[in-house]
Amino acid sequence: MLEHLGKELAFRFTVGGVEITFHPVVIAVALAVVVAIVLVSLWLRRGLPHTPDAPLSRRAAFLAGTIDLFENQLLGGVSPRLVRQLLPFVITLFFYVLFCNWAGILPIPYIVAPTQDLNVSLGLALLVYLLTHYYGIRAKGVGRHLKGYLEPFPFLLPLNIVGDLGRTLSHGFRLFGNILGGAILMVVAPTATMSISTALVPVVGPALGWTGRVPLSLILNGWFGLAFGVIQAFVFTLLAVAYIQVTAD
Amino acid sequence: MEGEALVAAAKFLAAGICMGLGAIGPGVGEGIVGAHALDAMARQPEMANTLLRTMVIADAIAETTGIYSLLVALVLLFVV
Repeated sequence: MLEHLGKELAFRFTVGGVEITFHPVVIAVALAVVVAIVLVSLWLRRGLPHTPDAPLSRRAAFLAGTIDLFENQLLGGVSPRLVRQLLPFVITLFFYVLFCNWAGILPIPYIVAPTQDLNVSLGLALLVYLLTHYYGIRAKGVGRHLKGYLEPFPFLLPLNIVGDLGRTLSHGFRLFGNILGGAILMVVAPTATMSISTALVPVVGPALGWTGRVPLSLILNGWFGLAFGVIQAFVFTLLAVAYIQVTAD
Repeated sequence: MEGEALVAAAKFLAAGICMGLGAIGPGVGEGIVGAHALDAMARQPEMANTLLRTMVIADAIAETTGIYSLLVALVLLFVV
């Protein structure tokens, strides 16, 4: 029932006693999302006017609106100096996670959302974790950045380190769990409707199951695929901004 | 066979109990967060953008334990 979650398509290697698993589908979809984002970005950039006083094209207006939205919504409480550094990364992260989430509802067999693989979501969380240190060191210098771990009291150092790692772990697990949970529900609920109606209603059970299955699938795909994709991408990006802001400001 | 069936039954029961109990906390927490955010937005509509951002962060943090119980349920179902 869950075979198209992509678990059986895996290459397993053992390097130095540690088993490493690669899911080709996940890697392929993740790279396809990268290619799609690059192509769309190039297409949007070609719509930019060449001279400042040229009339605003629709693509340029879309870009300006998007950047304005991100500046005000996601980076509203961040200092202006940091906004300029963070804006490209934040927009890229949001659209990457968004398209990765949305890839899960494509009606192609074996296609899964890359973010429902822990490797992708935890990898993105680790990227954000490294960037918090990068921006922290850049804003405050190595000494003052490391001194932040000794605050408010020096004996809280282990707690600060554990809190840092736990934050990163839950950042990755949140995206992973939400998308995987939605994907499982999208598979299980229509199948369960089918078998329950077949078992309970005597003659017209299977027909009833099929008629109930189509709108149910549509609603679940719309809610858990499209809506939750946007919400989780928003939350992921928002938390990334919040984590970077805490160390850098 | 008897033992295996028992283990499978215990697995499904444990996954159901884990997810059901684990969803109570985040549900109540997010309800409180949403209610107070709506309260504040109704009082000060011009602050709605800032409040929405803070509300989503608070929701995400309240949700964390629910996600953990989901992970435990998944591990029980598919890995154990």
